[in-house]
Amino acid sequence: MDNYLPIFVLLVLGFLFAALSFTASAILAPRRPSVAKAAPYECGIVPRNEPPERFPVRFYLVAMIFIVFDIEIVFLYPWAVEFRALGTFGLVEILVFAAAVVIAFLYLLSNGALEWGPARRSAHWSSARTTASTVLHISPAPSDPRLSQASGGEAPEHETPAEELAEGSSEAPARAHPHEAA
Amino acid sequence: MHPGLVPVPLLATSLPDAITFAVSAVIVIAGAIGVVVARNPVHSALMLVMTLFGVAVLFVEQRADFLAAVQVIVYAGAIVVLFLFVIMLLGVDRREAVSADPLPWQRPLALVLSFCALGSVLALGFSGAWSTGAASVTGALPHRAGDTAALGKVVFTTYLLPFEVTAALLVIAVVAAVLLVRVPQLREQGGQAGAERGGAAGLEGDPEAVSDPGVDGDPQGLGERDREVVPS
Amino acid sequence: MSLFFLSALVLPKIAWSAILPELILLAAPLVLLAVSALSARRLPTGVYAGGMGAAGLASLGASVWLWTQVTPHGAGTAVDGAIAVDGFSVLVMILVSSVVVLAALIGEGYLRREGIGGPEYYVLAMFSAAGAMLMASADDLVLIFLGLEIMSIALYVLAGLDARRQGSGEAAMKYFLLGAFSSAIFLYGIALVYGATGSTNLPQIADFLAHNVASSDGLLLAGMALLLVGFFFKIAAVPFHMWTPDVYQGSPTPVTGFMAAVAKAGGFAALLRVFFASFGLLRDDWQPVIWLVAVVTLLVGAVLALVQRDVKRMLAYSSINHAGFILVGLEAATTRGIAASLYYLFVYGFMVVGTFAVVTVIARRGDEAHDLGSYRGLAQRQPFLAAMLALLLLAQAGVPLTTGFLAKLYIISAAVEAHSYALAVIAMVSAAIAAFFYLRVVVLMYAGAKSGVGLPAPLAATGAGEGAGSGELSPVAAYGPGAASAAELEGDRPEASRPDGAGGGEGHGEPDAAGVPATIALAIALCAGFTLLFGIWAQPVVELARQATLLFH
Repeated sequence: MDNYLPIFVLLVLGFLFAALSFTASAILAPRRPSVAKAAPYECGIVPRNEPPERFPVRFYLVAMIFIVFDIEIVFLYPWAVEFRALGTFGLVEILVFAAAVVIAFLYLLSNGALEWGPARRSAHWSSARTTASTVLHISPAPSDPRLSQASGGEAPEHETPAEELAEGSSEAPARAHPHEAA
Repeated sequence: MHPGLVPVPLLATSLPDAITFAVSAVIVIAGAIGVVVARNPVHSALMLVMTLFGVAVLFVEQRADFLAAVQVIVYAGAIVVLFLFVIMLLGVDRREAVSADPLPWQRPLALVLSFCALGSVLALGFSGAWSTGAASVTGALPHRAGDTAALGKVVFTTYLLPFEVTAALLVIAVVAAVLLVRVPQLREQGGQAGAERGGAAGLEGDPEAVSDPGVDGDPQGLGERDREVVPS
Repeated sequence: MSLFFLSALVLPKIAWSAILPELILLAAPLVLLAVSALSARRLPTGVYAGGMGAAGLASLGASVWLWTQVTPHGAGTAVDGAIAVDGFSVLVMILVSSVVVLAALIGEGYLRREGIGGPEYYVLAMFSAAGAMLMASADDLVLIFLGLEIMSIALYVLAGLDARRQGSGEAAMKYFLLGAFSSAIFLYGIALVYGATGSTNLPQIADFLAHNVASSDGLLLAGMALLLVGFFFKIAAVPFHMWTPDVYQGSPTPVTGFMAAVAKAGGFAALLRVFFASFGLLRDDWQPVIWLVAVVTLLVGAVLALVQRDVKRMLAYSSINHAGFILVGLEAATTRGIAASLYYLFVYGFMVVGTFAVVTVIARRGDEAHDLGSYRGLAQRQPFLAAMLALLLLAQAGVPLTTGFLAKLYIISAAVEAHSYALAVIAMVSAAIAAFFYLRVVVLMYAGAKSGVGLPAPLAATGAGEGAGSGELSPVAAYGPGAASAAELEGDRPEASRPDGAGGGEGHGEPDAAGVPATIALAIALCAGFTLLFGIWAQPVVELARQATLLFH
């Protein structure tokens, strides 16, 4: 029973902390939502359409690096605990294991797992897209033709949450509403 | 040499132990069911995390602290992250059209049969004699140093060869990842990527899409024939 | 604290030489990977093929050396009891090493033709072979599982090697999903067996079963059943064979051949060892299961192969049929039965690798032409390929003067000796059915050119046989689907192809002008030469298999 007391205390503490945080933010935080704030990531760039893919599959190689070394560390830990008893024998064994993993890592590197330079991308980068052209949707210049295109139904489902929010909140700045601006 | 072959009573433990076991067992099974029935693959992955945490608690209860830590670090931490990677790559807003099943009787039949298999395994397990049972559930470890040291000992002596060949598995996984990721490049070499490249390049301002032309949410081209993919 | 452990920990004595073949095949792919990672430019595929061939030869040499060590000294264990060093495991090592050499030869030709670069094929194939060897020599269920995973995961990826064909990805996906599922079931079986016997070590399990009488053995039975499911999946026995046709068809053809030989070798080796050596005392429990599975595997494999139009699918069902035969040897549960199974496994490896090597060449660039129609009149276009394929297919059918005949003969006689008469009869019937679809391809190759009939329907082909230029084949064609046609062919077909086989057996191959890559031609000739040479001069391999089981640990 004694074993469970700390766990129980920890559970209660965790529950209390979560409950306190939620209540505190509900009571204390100011709520002035705007379209810009409600946009995904709140970063000022509104997605006009769904990207055709989420992210390059090459991210997967980074994940593999992570997994491989994660598992190697799991084996390193019991070896470290028994290091003295195992002596040279254990050292050689773990070195053989590490060597195999490092070769796999080298192979990953040679296949560009960590190459994120712009060389591969720049070939198809559109020069038409500038900072100004992407930020336009938030604080649009009235004459911008892009805006009507954006609100003209190219990706209406992404506007919906913003619309709801804007209409539901009295504080939302009206000028940011795409339909009104158009 | 071996303890007598008697069936192990189900609750040969103290009450808190039994309660902890019951709660984590419910968490494990609820999570497992959730993985299967959740429509959204991301929810499935999160349910899996719940199951894995429950299993970690069970490990702790059996004084296998190291295994519990590994369970959380490797499985809940790394493996599920990898799952989420794949789910995101394939697109969360696509889901299988489960209603369009070419063999409608297949699903209920599979359900019935898997319950039969599970039931018979369980029945055999309960009727059988566990030669390891009592010792591994309630008995203390042979020495006081804890399971990490004990594990270190067996992994680097008795199970030395299995440990070393695990490295081969890791290398295979890496080579496999590289091979599968390279799919689009191979297509380019084969001269068949033209159409896809043209299609992708048409999307203005999407550099990522262009750098890997063959990947359009279905990198291995598996989806078209085996299942219908419908946007939600 | 540390002092206590210093005294408690006994470091194991490890005779690394006992697993030298595995070590070679585990280290070589790492070297290839390092070379490919560190070299500044892309290396031609021949470099990697050379590396793999050298590793295969080295591993073959090490296996033969091990055989010379095992024969006088008897069986033993190594690496702290995790590895059994006995004739059985060493013979499987010899087989797998040979398949590695052949796969290097075939892969080089295939990859160059398809323009696929990189070391991946070779690396994965060598890892896979090492996994199969580990399965064969493992004396511990944990190691068997690891060997199984190393073998299978590499094979899943190899199945998806050809990214340009959709079927390749589909094969990889199917194989992976079902294979992962069966691995999980296998693991569950290991856990239950451990729970019932208190050990994962095979001799210790056998020892426990010999000295304890369980009050109820339900747990052990459940564990054994789950282990069987895992094994049945890997060897493609019938209720668990569903993946086989799709995966064999979709995989790149050299991979299919490699998969058929290596996965069967590893799976059967571990199955025979676990069930014959560890659970031998419980044979009354598992024998009926094996009996039933062997029967359906034999019949389903043979019957479904009849209706296939795709040669790779046909060969997939034929491999299921072969798995049934090997199971018959296990069902006998005698040393003779195990020896017969081992012999079958050994010679089947060469037959199937050679067959798929021919199919690789015939499929041409793109690896798509697998319809039976592509084989019509092959004898005129590619006499070398046609002769080799005819020889290998007839060997698979079990025609005398080939190893395939001896393999079937020993299996059936072992079954008869163990009083499994019904099983022996069913095996013979299925061999007769199977002979038909092998012969259909042979007839099509030699007689099909002049037939105006569109379908390779058996009767159409038979009718057209009369006008064929190769006169020696008209009796075959006229014979049709008769059960006895295989026996009737005795003095006929093999002799027709013997000159080619014998010439190839010398190791030169016949790189004929008609577009057969020299390396693949060499591999085909080696396989065909082995099949014919040891079919006629039967003694050495038969003796090898018999000794291997005598030296069974």
